[in-house]
Amino acid sequence: MTNNPENTSEKSLGYVVGGSLKDSLSVRLTVPPQEVKEGSFVVIESGDWRFYGTVTDLQLGSTNPRFADEQSENRLPPEVACLLHGQTLFTNLQVLPALMQEVGPDPASPEYEQWRSQHPDDSGLQPQPVKTVPAHHALVRSARAEDVANIFGEPSQRNFVIGYTREQNLPIPLDLEKFVQRSSGIFGATGTGKSFLTRLLLAGLIEYNKAATLVFDMHNEYAYDDIASDTKEVIPGLKSKFNPRVRVVGLGAGASIRGQSPDFNLTLAESDILPEDIEMLTRELNLRETTPATLEALWHDFGRTWFSEFKKMRNGAMEEDPITGKKVPATDSVAFWANQAGVNVMAAEGLHQKLGRLFNKPYIVPNPPQDSLAEIINLLASGKHVILSFGDHETDLDYLLVTNLITRRIRDEWEKRTNAYRSHPQKNPEPRPLVVVIEEAHKLLNREMAAQTAFATIAREMRKYYVTLLIVDQRPSQIYDEVMSQLGTRVSAWLGDEADIAAVLSGLAGRDALRGMLARLQPKEEALLLGWGVSLPIVVRSRRYDQRFFEELRGASPPGRSADDAIRELFG
Amino acid sequence: MTNSSLHIGRLLRSTTSDCVIGCRASELNLPAFGGMVRIPLAEGTQIFGLIHNIQIEDDGLIRQLITSDNVPPDVLLDNRNNRNVPVEIGVIFIGYQQDGVISHLLPPRPPLSLDEIFTCTPQEVVAFTGNGRFGYLRHILRRDDLPQAELLAAHIQQAGQIHLTHGRPDWVEAVTRELVTLLRDDYDRLMSVLSAIGDINLS
Ligand SMILES: Nc1ncnc2c1ncn2[C@@H]1O[C@H](COP(=O)(O)OP(=O)(O)OP(=O)(O)O)[C@@H](O)[C@H]1O
Ligand SMILES: [Mg+2]
Repeated sequence: MTNNPENTSEKSLGYVVGGSLKDSLSVRLTVPPQEVKEGSFVVIESGDWRFYGTVTDLQLGSTNPRFADEQSENRLPPEVACLLHGQTLFTNLQVLPALMQEVGPDPASPEYEQWRSQHPDDSGLQPQPVKTVPAHHALVRSARAEDVANIFGEPSQRNFVIGYTREQNLPIPLDLEKFVQRSSGIFGATGTGKSFLTRLLLAGLIEYNKAATLVFDMHNEYAYDDIASDTKEVIPGLKSKFNPRVRVVGLGAGASIRGQSPDFNLTLAESDILPEDIEMLTRELNLRETTPATLEALWHDFGRTWFSEFKKMRNGAMEEDPITGKKVPATDSVAFWANQAGVNVMAAEGLHQKLGRLFNKPYIVPNPPQDSLAEIINLLASGKHVILSFGDHETDLDYLLVTNLITRRIRDEWEKRTNAYRSHPQKNPEPRPLVVVIEEAHKLLNREMAAQTAFATIAREMRKYYVTLLIVDQRPSQIYDEVMSQLGTRVSAWLGDEADIAAVLSGLAGRDALRGMLARLQPKEEALLLGWGVSLPIVVRSRRYDQRFFEELRGASPPGRSADDAIRELFG
Repeated sequence: MTNSSLHIGRLLRSTTSDCVIGCRASELNLPAFGGMVRIPLAEGTQIFGLIHNIQIEDDGLIRQLITSDNVPPDVLLDNRNNRNVPVEIGVIFIGYQQDGVISHLLPPRPPLSLDEIFTCTPQEVVAFTGNGRFGYLRHILRRDDLPQAELLAAHIQQAGQIHLTHGRPDWVEAVTRELVTLLRDDYDRLMSVLSAIGDINLS
């Protein structure tokens, strides 16, 4: 706990005039409104307690609406008008309080000793969620560096700096330990910097190296260096920067990613594909309601080889019955099998035709040279990070099928390992926490799909099994709300759509107050941090992801501070 | 305003909050609307007041003179100096001083008939109006029967001028701010007071 009496001369922004715990506090501003911005972090000193909150709105007010309505500066001499306006027109801040902390009286005061004897150590003096309000007229000031450090932690490998405050440029870290304990999300309209925020966080996670990460890189963005389409600057790739720790897997034999050959290729065995993988593609493949019955019959007849067997059948093949001379379905035809299995022929033929798109996928082969799925799992379990690049297979169908299949395997594996660890902690290692990163998450986590894919389960309960998701999306409103409300840490760049904004804020206290802030972020490189993993909702200017970032990460220079900042910190 | 305290008349009648002073027409160049006066009582106590009204009554002789064709100068002079109906000056009490301590409360008891009334010196004006937090304004603002805006403006003009040279140069600003605070729930009254204050000219 820091108590810094030298700074009492520092100017306050205003004083509390009203409000409630449920909504937010009203603070009468005593400085020009330009000195405070929405989203900034403020501290309220109220007796022995200190409250921490976020500015969510600024409102013009007047003691009587007529003072605001009438332009009295035209009627009165300027000095008189100025005196009048100084007292009748004002600006109120809305402050959403998030935390409070007992700080006790001024250490120089006579009461301090008694208070200290009642609080011999600092336990119980940590910031805690607000349970009451500050007193009327409590003074409000901007947060200082030591407040930020007190609430968000000192920057370190674990406390990864993701951005800086708008006004004072103070570093705001995310606690990566906490970050990986629950699923999280990065949101924002297109072009607002989601992929850059994801790169930043991934770099932080890889550097900290306490959790494995698996990135489903649909657009081949994360592994190798790239050139930004707008600024033409080089975007460092994670593989290039963290080479031995990061493995790039290309989908399909002989895949090349941005002209580079990946560490190995992923091919799926036909036997890896289960009926549920197909059912999940219902919308994508435009399947009929009869599909589950047909799939069930296929599984019943062939078990794990159903996909290969079905693929081999000829659709519509006929032959002449040697006895009757009539045209009948050939013995290797879909119709022949359907008749035998007691399945509607039309349904079976329709399904066969639609699965043609999968039968032709080059990355699904009868006998892959190695079990590359198992290889991925081993890498992750042994502490490597895997970027699965989709190469040329960029369609939704590829994305849905592959991500789901892999995730299902991972889920089973981590569940198994966790159970083994729980039952015999001496014999089995604790599973390594795993973060699965999915771009365009709404494709996998929409209301319709959520029930069928492994992702919803992970979002809901897999934190018990050491697996969490990092979902990256531009349309959060299309993600199943049960998943959204489970997200611990949310990082959101600008969003315009009301429904998207509501989705990002779902399940959080102070939703109403935070709503406008999202809509008014800068179109790029600004983000609102919120949720369980963040002590207090705050707007940050995103840290830049560039060469300098990597120099900082490697300890060459401290995060985002110039020599001037350091001098100011040392000498006040 | 002169530097010394000048006699302007004697008390005609009085209540706890105000009084009327009689004065000779010849002395009428002394008191001014909005001017501050003091009424010494016994034993180091004096009452402070503010002139809010100056009234000149007629009498039978005046009526006669007015109807005549012309009034000879010596008759006019004689009537001004020796008329037997005094000029009446209305004063509201705004505070008092007892044993050197200034209070903006009403005096404990009113002055008595024929008590003498004097104008205040600049030092007294500065001491009284600069003391405390303008509590005396409430005696004026309470009186709906007075031309408040004009009275305040006249008072602020006179006292402000004195403060400029003898007291707090920011006194006008401070008293205006206080008036805004006191009147901001009464838009019409505040605006009329402020526009009167806006007409003040300090040199
Ligand atoms: N932290 C950052 N560091 C450097 N540049 C950034 C940062 N954030 C955003 N930018 C700039 O903004 C541009 C858009 O960012 P980005 O590609 O991450 O957007 P996006 O939200 O992922 O968009 P889309 O939804 O289209 O994928 C980048 O090309 C880059 O120039
Ligand atoms: Mg992107």
